[in-house]
Amino acid sequence: MNGPSVALVRSGAVAGALKRPRAGLDWALAGVAIALLLLGLIMISSASMTPADRVYGDPFHFFWRQLVHVALGVLAAVLALRLPLQLWARLSLALFGLGLLGLVLVLLPGVGREVNGSMRWMDVSGFSVQPSEFIKIFMILYVASYLARRSEEIRSAWRGFARPLVVLGAVVMLLLLEPDYGASVVLSATIVGMLFLGGVPIGRFLVCALAMGALFGLIILLAPYRLERVASFLHPWTDPFGSGFQLTQALIAIGRGEWFGVGLGSSVQKLFYLPEAHTDFLFAVLAEELGFVGILLVVSAFAFIVWRAFLIARRAERMAQPFAAYTAYGLGLLLGLQGFINIGVNLGVLPTKGLTLPLMSYGGSSMVASCLSVGLLLRVDLEARRGR
Amino acid sequence: MSARNKTYSPARSGFVLCLMSLAALGLLWRAVDLQLIDKTFLQRQGDARFLRVVSSPAHRGRILDRHGESLAVSTPVDSIWVCPPTFVTERHRWGLLEPLLGLDEAALERLILDRMDREFLYLKRHVAPGLADRIAELSLRGLHRQREYRRYYPSGEVAAHVVGFTNVDDVGQEGLELGFDDRLRGVQGSKRVIRDRLGRTVEDVERISAPRSGRDLVVTIDRRIQYVAHRALKSAVKRHRAKSGSIVVLDSRSGDVLAMANDPAYNPNNGAERTGERFRNRAVTDVFEPGSTVKPFIVAAALETGWVVPETRLDTRPGLFRVGKYTVRDLRNYGVIDIRSVLKKSSNVGASKLGLSMPPGRLWRLLSGLGFGNATDIHFPGEARGMLPSYHDWGEIHQATLSFGYGLSVTPLQLARAYTAIATGGWLHSPTLVQTRERVPARRIMSERTALAVRNMLEAVVARDGTAPKAHVPGYRVAGKTGTVRKPIPGGYADDRYVAAFVGIIPASAPRLVAVITIDEPRGKEYYGGDVAAPVFTEVMSSTLPLLGVAPDEPTLLAKRIDLSEDPAVLTGAPSRRPEPGFVEAAWQPGDFNRGPEQWNLAP
Repeated sequence: MNGPSVALVRSGAVAGALKRPRAGLDWALAGVAIALLLLGLIMISSASMTPADRVYGDPFHFFWRQLVHVALGVLAAVLALRLPLQLWARLSLALFGLGLLGLVLVLLPGVGREVNGSMRWMDVSGFSVQPSEFIKIFMILYVASYLARRSEEIRSAWRGFARPLVVLGAVVMLLLLEPDYGASVVLSATIVGMLFLGGVPIGRFLVCALAMGALFGLIILLAPYRLERVASFLHPWTDPFGSGFQLTQALIAIGRGEWFGVGLGSSVQKLFYLPEAHTDFLFAVLAEELGFVGILLVVSAFAFIVWRAFLIARRAERMAQPFAAYTAYGLGLLLGLQGFINIGVNLGVLPTKGLTLPLMSYGGSSMVASCLSVGLLLRVDLEARRGR
Repeated sequence: MSARNKTYSPARSGFVLCLMSLAALGLLWRAVDLQLIDKTFLQRQGDARFLRVVSSPAHRGRILDRHGESLAVSTPVDSIWVCPPTFVTERHRWGLLEPLLGLDEAALERLILDRMDREFLYLKRHVAPGLADRIAELSLRGLHRQREYRRYYPSGEVAAHVVGFTNVDDVGQEGLELGFDDRLRGVQGSKRVIRDRLGRTVEDVERISAPRSGRDLVVTIDRRIQYVAHRALKSAVKRHRAKSGSIVVLDSRSGDVLAMANDPAYNPNNGAERTGERFRNRAVTDVFEPGSTVKPFIVAAALETGWVVPETRLDTRPGLFRVGKYTVRDLRNYGVIDIRSVLKKSSNVGASKLGLSMPPGRLWRLLSGLGFGNATDIHFPGEARGMLPSYHDWGEIHQATLSFGYGLSVTPLQLARAYTAIATGGWLHSPTLVQTRERVPARRIMSERTALAVRNMLEAVVARDGTAPKAHVPGYRVAGKTGTVRKPIPGGYADDRYVAAFVGIIPASAPRLVAVITIDEPRGKEYYGGDVAAPVFTEVMSSTLPLLGVAPDEPTLLAKRIDLSEDPAVLTGAPSRRPEPGFVEAAWQPGDFNRGPEQWNLAP
């Protein structure tokens, strides 16, 4: 099922290699990403089979759809691999504008679709699109190009540092209107991280970081259901059949896994006990079926992706490709943070947020966005090694 | 190029990488904590949620007749139950159940909504498995099924009183189902299963105990004879517009109860019919004053003293006899008659005089030895013991009335038991209803000589000039006794309400069967035992004896061929397993005949 996608990636690499013999694809990164992709597909079919059979009468209902998502994602990755970063830099503002437009549109009744109390989805030519997944990448591109263009101003003036924060604030506002708290946190942390890596003086950075922390705290206090979520994650067993239900079920699933898991397909918790078993809580099912070994593999894979992204970013810095470098930093942070936060939520160390596990969870927009991120990373690597 | 140097910040990116690594390590530590250290707590929590101990029903033992024909069997059925709080989420689809369960939606709504605090509610018990499949196919949330067994009684009302029935929970309520519930019931098994959140069993984890099926109960009833007895009794009760009736057929040689039927009966397969007093197995639970049917025992007691012989003559003139301030009456003045005629004419005066001629203790000992006042050993729930007052309490009048069957009470089964002593030459056989290895041994109650003499006298009762010519069974010699008993009412005895009874022993030359028939309150023109109860005996025996392959012993009718296949009722009621002795001419053996009356001639 991934034969064609591998072939596509390879043909792209071959085409590039023919032009510039020195530059090859980073197969380690691509391999890890593909491995996560496949593992995700397997886990989705395992986790969703029983509910899919019950609700849709087809145990592979979610599997087939996710296969389409993966195909689209691979297509997006190949596209990113073939387009020069210069193009992304030039289009960054326009893409950011498009992302903002999406965020606004999804809030409009009739355009956006409400699921579980959140306006996160809208239909674009038959596909259900989640703009918040794409604004993350577009914002990274926008900030990367901003940092590349105004590196002096950022280091010397409050203004240079404040401007991206104001833009971030606006985006977060839109995200919170949906509401999509998870995306806001991931995006904010990523952008702040990018600014830190962009050379903002430590003092100013700390002041801003504190201010943002206070702001998030305020947001939590203002919306009580978030407070409830925060409280329930700290003490899930005080109300295991109410606010702590999902988390306790996830923890039970993880606890059942032990070293090597109960075996692929043998999860009990996926049998209607654990809600969102194939999306946000896919990791818990993986932990139950594959055990600590599975967790170790997935966490290591995400750590590897982050490490590789930073390696690529540094190489790009050395090659004086600041836009590429900041893009790689941002994407690495995005993939790593989102992955770790999702895993943290599953393990009960972070509040439940509604975040997907990149490259693995069920969801079209999430899949395409994370594939696109990997594709961009590979492109940055390619260009840094070509020295262009 | 200066910009390049400034953007190169290995320290910061290293710091961020460190943070990310710490995060990864933190997550891994947390995973270790959950999966390898805290796992017991979590797994126990999980087990508490999806591990369930479910019981697996045990198959209830069958009740079989003496030839292995089924009288009660259990068939698997499904019961449909719901968990109201979950089931209510499917409210929009409740209508689908309407045609399947025959529950209209409004009733269903009331049923469910009133019980939202429960987690278990039967929607319908005992649904045929096919229908249950179709209901399960609707996959309604919160609706489940459960395997159970339903009791089915193939012989319907024919053996209803003996077999009894179980309730919806498979617990015996009446009859043998109640009396032998422990043996029939078996032991429920239990197993641990994993249930998904919708309550469906996903996996059997372990079997805690296997269900143990109940044991079959083999009874002494012969379904074919039971059918014949039931049918004959039912038609007699109907014909005489009687209140009720009972019949007991015993194998006199063993005490086996071959048939025991009552009317009115009920269909144990139909819950709606299970009402009121129809349940009672009157042959065992109801007592009556035996009236003239005890006279043979008075005669036997008198013969046992040795002071009288069958030819001893008694003066019954003028047809009445004063005992203190009471008067014992005969139907008419029989004059001076021998003891044989006391039985043949059923003379109350003669019986009283005989009874009074004996010391009370002797009379009591015989009656008590015959089992009057004592329960039988069939262990039937609700069995009545009857009543035989102690002879210390007897006055003269009591001893006199006792001699023609008043002042004591018996069940039809007790009466049949007493007659086995006459049938078998003095041995009392305890009735047996359930086949067991241990039988109560027969007891000698009277001398063989006395028993044969009484049996010989009782043959005269069925003669043309006796009280029960209608008990004649073609081809067979019959010994019998009628009884027409006034029913007690407050302050005395009723003039117009009787129990008509007949006890028969057949074939009289070598008895095989004893039958007691009682018809309570016949309301037609006829009410004598010889007119109401005796024909039932004839009807039952003329079918039963050929069924059992009993050779005819009445020589005059041996040439007659009795072809059972012409009687469709017998065929449907008694599916044959063995070669039927439908043609009886070959069954008779001259030896039976040769042991003729001269052997019984006890004249001194």
